[in-house]
Amino acid sequence: MRSPKASLTISIPSETSFLALVREVTKKMAASAGFADGTADRLALAVDEATTNVIEHAYHGSADREIELRIEDRGPEFRVEVVDSGATVDPRAVPRVDLGQYVSERRTGGLGIHLMEKIMDSVTFRRAARRNVCCLVKRKDSAAAR
Amino acid sequence: MEGVTLLYPKGFINAHTVRVFEGEIQKALAQGQFKIVVNCAGLAYIASAGLGAIMGAIEEIRGNGGDLRLANLNDAVRNIFEILGFHHLYRVYPSEVEAITSFGPPAAAGS
Repeated sequence: MRSPKASLTISIPSETSFLALVREVTKKMAASAGFADGTADRLALAVDEATTNVIEHAYHGSADREIELRIEDRGPEFRVEVVDSGATVDPRAVPRVDLGQYVSERRTGGLGIHLMEKIMDSVTFRRAARRNVCCLVKRKDSAAAR
Repeated sequence: MEGVTLLYPKGFINAHTVRVFEGEIQKALAQGQFKIVVNCAGLAYIASAGLGAIMGAIEEIRGNGGDLRLANLNDAVRNIFEILGFHHLYRVYPSEVEAITSFGPPAAAGS
């Protein structure tokens, strides 16, 4: 028989002061899913970045919208979905990081998505029921290998 | 103006707090201080917003013969630097003293 796994769904205002809470909740859920401290820290950062992206891009900085976080221990993997009802954002339109060009071109965008992709095993975006869903997945076996 | 400006970020730098950090860097630049050491001993974590603030200022700093160097990174912050390759772009020291003296004696500062 399979034992039940933890899952947690929370709603927060699209306000950057809530990023610290997002981070704490994600870190605790990651730890309870069995990730070591360092990995749990990185997972929390990835979710912070995804939430920041929603505030800045989907909601254009408005602090009075809603963001839903669905954090789920799915056994072999840890999954976090960050859901918003803002403007459709095409993440492929976000320029990826070229560190060589950073210093010379003063580019500061794109770092967040780059970090998310480095930390997670997969980062996907979909539009469903007029909402944007950013899905972050970390496999437990990949974390153990590090 | 010789001397090194020291910054001591506390807690975390993310999209919520980055304006304060950015403001401190800009204050140094406005005073003509281009040798900056960020002592990260009190910094629990940094998100891309904070790294972007450093990125956004570094050209002006280096263009004026200065540099922004870091000291006392905790494991989490160092890990983020390594993930992003920032340790190739910025000089990082184990202690504040080493970061300060890396700029050389004030009289010999000619680079």
